[in-house]
Amino acid sequence: MTATVAGLDSVTNDQVTAARATWAAFRRNPLGMISVGILVLLVIVAACAPLIAAYPTGYGDQVLQAPSGAHWFGTDNLGRDIFAEVVWGARLSIVIAALSSALAIAIGVVVAVLGAYFPKVDSIVGTVVDLCLSLPVLPLMILVAALAGPSLVTLVLVIAFFSWPEVTRVVRSQALSVVRLPYMDAARLTGGSSIWIIRKHLLPAVAPVIVVSVVLTASRAVLSAAGLAFLGLGDPTSWSWGRILYEAQQSGAMQSAWWTTLFPSLAMLALVVSATLISIAYNDARNPRARED
Amino acid sequence: MRLRQSLIAVAAVVAVSAVTACSPSAPDKADDAAGSGTTLTIATTTDVVNFNPLVGNSRTDNWITSLMYPRLLSISADGQKSPLLAKDYGFTNPTTAFWNLRDDMKWSDGQPVTADDVAFTINSILRDKPAGNTTYGQLVNVDSASAPSPTRVELKLKRPDSTVVTEVGFWMNVVPKHVFEPSGNVAKFANDKDWVSAGPYKLTGVAKGQSYTLERVTPYPFAPNNTPVVSKIVYRVYPDINTEILALKNNEVDLIANALPPAQVKNLQNTPGIKVQEIPGLGYAHMTYNMKHPALANLKVRQALSHAVNYDAIRSVVLQGQAVTTGSSPIPPVLKEFADPSSQEYAFDIEKSKQLLAEAGYGPSKPLTLTMIYSLQDAVTSQWANLVKDDAAKAGITINLQGMDRNTYLAKTAAGEYDIYAGNFAIMDDPTTNMALTYLPGGAINYSLVDDPALNSLITQAQGTTDKAAQKQFVQQAATMVRDNVYDNVMYMQNLYVAHSDKWSGFVVKPSELLSVVDPQSLANATKN
Repeated sequence: MTATVAGLDSVTNDQVTAARATWAAFRRNPLGMISVGILVLLVIVAACAPLIAAYPTGYGDQVLQAPSGAHWFGTDNLGRDIFAEVVWGARLSIVIAALSSALAIAIGVVVAVLGAYFPKVDSIVGTVVDLCLSLPVLPLMILVAALAGPSLVTLVLVIAFFSWPEVTRVVRSQALSVVRLPYMDAARLTGGSSIWIIRKHLLPAVAPVIVVSVVLTASRAVLSAAGLAFLGLGDPTSWSWGRILYEAQQSGAMQSAWWTTLFPSLAMLALVVSATLISIAYNDARNPRARED
Repeated sequence: MRLRQSLIAVAAVVAVSAVTACSPSAPDKADDAAGSGTTLTIATTTDVVNFNPLVGNSRTDNWITSLMYPRLLSISADGQKSPLLAKDYGFTNPTTAFWNLRDDMKWSDGQPVTADDVAFTINSILRDKPAGNTTYGQLVNVDSASAPSPTRVELKLKRPDSTVVTEVGFWMNVVPKHVFEPSGNVAKFANDKDWVSAGPYKLTGVAKGQSYTLERVTPYPFAPNNTPVVSKIVYRVYPDINTEILALKNNEVDLIANALPPAQVKNLQNTPGIKVQEIPGLGYAHMTYNMKHPALANLKVRQALSHAVNYDAIRSVVLQGQAVTTGSSPIPPVLKEFADPSSQEYAFDIEKSKQLLAEAGYGPSKPLTLTMIYSLQDAVTSQWANLVKDDAAKAGITINLQGMDRNTYLAKTAAGEYDIYAGNFAIMDDPTTNMALTYLPGGAINYSLVDDPALNSLITQAQGTTDKAAQKQFVQQAATMVRDNVYDNVMYMQNLYVAHSDKWSGFVVKPSELLSVVDPQSLANATKN
């Protein structure tokens, strides 16, 4: 009994050491750190939107004004401040990203782990995932969003529903290699229940892949949400980056007022690029071979 | 060194020629001062869905089919009807109407355009009820049409209807009997090839998603020397108004058929090489309150809503001052014959709105929440819907906006599934007919679902008389009743703007986006400077 406890301690210590080593390696990667900085900044902007700019509502008398001291990002076709729209848009864009990626990850991981752990289920999971991955996602998203009507809930559900197979694919391939390892057999021999083994041994082993998936799914969700909003299938009553683009397109301002499209696009670019770089940096950092380099 | 320079030169020449070879060639635009032999290229945002003008159709369908199938009457910028295929029209008695036709129009296969074609078109619409046909609703009092002579059409009416000649005359496209009759059922006739046109143009080439080519038809009596000036018209399809404007700036097209978004008008007016043409509006934008809703059935609630809208702000900001008030009347001021200049717009008064709401029993303890539907494809309405919501909130009324895809919006409208409906009508050319459709129970566009016996009586009396003065009195009384009871909240009449290259002139301006400068008479007279 004592030996088992000591063994568990050492596993825990190993994990702590690995996490520290990963973090140490991650810190050494300037791109990764800058990306984290950008992401944190965007989250702060989203969280503190009311402190940064007044909610863009109503109208203003300065229609389609180029960026200036009074309006840093210019104004749109109703004279509203685009800086305020981008700031408040960050909020909805990040909420959609967070919620839909959380949902996609939850579904994706559960399906992946069950598939990997129970071989009988795996063939079905594999087929379903392959089938879902071969579907033309964008047209289906448009169809579902159009039928269900534009709202935050619709967007989150639609994006999550079409994002989980990708998560399942990545997590399942990792989980399949983990379930074959001797320590999983050892765990089974100790008489632990399947749920306990999955929770204590399988999930921690695939956690790094999940972390990468979270970041990538979230950034893809931002793009999907913006795409749907641009097509007029976003929530027309709250600000998102996609809605700013949609309104620029609808008002015919795209070809004459570059600022209506540039700034929301830059915001999206910043979020997606930083998310991607973080996942790359994290992958490099947790790979011992990359760390040695 | 010299060798390197030569290589660079050769590379540059190759690159330039490669780029030139890859670029789409510009449409043939021979420089002919009179415009004969030239091509007029027009931008639109949608494809043609129906080539059959008798089936309900989109804007592009209408623009293109109207160039082939003539109307009996046209309409001028002030809403007055003017002769076209019909020389004159009237009533021989209260239940017999007539049109006398001109005899110099021909179909492109050589057959004359006769009264037989007109009577066939009307009888076919009555028999086959083509889906979405506007004229069908206007023929409700018509029993049948006949052609006693090649130039005279007579309508037998079931009951007196003073507006049928002008309304059907303006809205209906006349189709060639010898082409449409063999199909058996005009509602199912695709008419997608071998077109026969009465001019000024005939469709000769269709490249779906890209372009529609039309060639001139002669004789066309409404063009100089019976010949449309430009020999060829090409409608090119663009994804949206942004790309259309770019195409116009790059000289890829000569004219944009779609009305410009209000915020783009000033910008294009200041663009060299581009001329912006004002098109008088003939319709209006409005909100209707669903009278079946228990709260909205209360006049005070409707009044509260009508006072919680900043109409001036909507006109000056969303429409950039390109709209005029109708004095909250459903008769737009452009219809000078009928309009009542004394009609006052609902005042924007939040306090009054709150007070009315309180009198109706609503307030902080019993909040009023309503939904408002509008089409997301309607960019202008989508914008002011937000202003309406914000101002209503100040009066304590919560309006939940439901912007939706156009088809869903139409379905919800038809089913009456809304508290407030926001939208607009392109052409409201005749107050009597429009009020019958808008406010009589069962009317095709009675979106407030109103059924007021006093109002019904006024509208029916207006329909029944051919005396202009009496008719004016009835429709003005009806309009006042609509305004005072907030059966409809008419917000503004928008004047539209279209842009074309300043190399072109001679366009004839007609009201509404449907006709604007792409009306057949206009295009037949357009010339390149």
